[in-house]
Amino acid sequence: MSEIVIRAGDRPVREVHEEIQSAAKAGGDIVVTDTRSRHNLGVGLPPGCRVRFEGSVGYYCGGLNTGATIEIERNAGWGLGEAMSDGHITCNGYAGMSVGAAMLGGTIHVRGDSGPRAGVAMKGGNLVVEGKIGHQSGFMAHGGKIIALGGAGTSCADALWEGEVWVAGDIEDLGVDAVVSEPTAEQVAEVDAILEPLGLVDTSRNWRRITAGQRLWYFESRDAKAWLMI
Amino acid sequence: MCGIAGRILNAPGRVGNDLVELMDAQAHRGADSTGFAIYTVPREEGYVVRAMGFDRETLGRDIEDFLAILREHGADFLEEPTWDNARSAHYSVRFVISDPIDLGRWTTAADEICSRLEVQSVGRSLEIIKDVGDARAVADKHGVRDMIGTHGLGHARLATESDVFPNASHPFWARPFADVAIVHNGQITDYYTWRNKLEHQGYRFLTYNDSELIAVWVSDQMKKGMPMEEALARSIREIDGVFTYMIAQADKIGFAKDKFAMKPLVVVDENGEISAATEEQAVRRIADTENTSIINYDGPSQMGIWGVGNHRSAA
Repeated sequence: MSEIVIRAGDRPVREVHEEIQSAAKAGGDIVVTDTRSRHNLGVGLPPGCRVRFEGSVGYYCGGLNTGATIEIERNAGWGLGEAMSDGHITCNGYAGMSVGAAMLGGTIHVRGDSGPRAGVAMKGGNLVVEGKIGHQSGFMAHGGKIIALGGAGTSCADALWEGEVWVAGDIEDLGVDAVVSEPTAEQVAEVDAILEPLGLVDTSRNWRRITAGQRLWYFESRDAKAWLMI
Repeated sequence: MCGIAGRILNAPGRVGNDLVELMDAQAHRGADSTGFAIYTVPREEGYVVRAMGFDRETLGRDIEDFLAILREHGADFLEEPTWDNARSAHYSVRFVISDPIDLGRWTTAADEICSRLEVQSVGRSLEIIKDVGDARAVADKHGVRDMIGTHGLGHARLATESDVFPNASHPFWARPFADVAIVHNGQITDYYTWRNKLEHQGYRFLTYNDSELIAVWVSDQMKKGMPMEEALARSIREIDGVFTYMIAQADKIGFAKDKFAMKPLVVVDENGEISAATEEQAVRRIADTENTSIINYDGPSQMGIWGVGNHRSAA
């Protein structure tokens, strides 16, 4: 299939967006050039569409994705793939703050590091970061898996609800109510199944699986100290 | 949500224009008001004073009273004052004055008429220009693009904690210290606690903008002889709230971020020429980001200082 090239430049983002949407309907691969780290590129893309952004993108790229395959050549700003329900996003560089915020499904794959609060309020899907996840990643996540292959910053998995944070490498420190456990072979196999299509399986990894200690699920006065730590 | 920016040039140049570009690219972050702190080529002696009057009809009397206070403190005009000719009720005026005997005492005396004419910056090189409106509107009204200098700060305000007034815009001057200005993105949670404490120590707040607290707090640190590096580190521990702020002096720009890592800061360093902004798309307006790496100061409790000119190695 032919490739459709759309230039972002300094054109109104609505105009760029409408062109991407109609190209997606027509079918075929889409390349967006001259992205200039602009915000809201490729929001609400439909299933089956394939878009590659040249250079870096700004805030909320790939947000509300319902099944598109999106690739970003360099870095992404705040809220990459926010609230996406399905599809696949690859960011070849650094993903800014709150990557995968409130995502419901699909996979986000970041080849570099990610900023603070990766997977904040995440409800499903997989967020794979080859580098290090930033401060307070997994904050109040309700579901899904955050998988960091290059360590984690401070306050890791703070106030995690459900969902899991998997870390290979150093964890600077843990957040409130974050509990580390040795994963079982079955659990590791589940994670490897997510990493396998990305070519990232490495059996020598020393995994830490972090889940909620459930101390914040119900308020109990005898446990008030945990609440005061927030 | 606000937007901030900083710029350092290796030699005096179009820093005003660069800061307008940085703020125009972030106008969507808040166009209630916009302000600039421009460090022009420094004077050997005498100060540039930027002030705002609140009633254009009393402009003549305001300036007479300003001059009378100035003379009581052993200083005088070195140049005739200039002001904008806009139709707004408030006006911005620029004075060039000789050195008062005591800058602190004169500032306190000048603040006695601050309800009519508010001194907004004093410096050998610093000039603070601020007003309501977006970057382009403020730049056009006050000729910011034509200002030549070495470094400076910019701010776009989305008012969340207090009213929009022309004088409640950033940057804020750390009165009465010449050539010290701050811009802030965020909210200060313990603003009233700190304000009460500092007012009891004799400091004056001229607005209800919570960001002014940082400027007054910095003044207090400077009075105690605190170096910038120590003051930045201390602010992260002592001030509660959400902040990424920048502070500029004649020879450097510093920044500090809160322990929650809420507000981003993107920086490009091109052989010592610094472009810093809240958003990456802003620094791309003036810096070559394709061939220079972008530094994201996204983490918690981060701080740093960039030197200006000959002070580079000292920073």
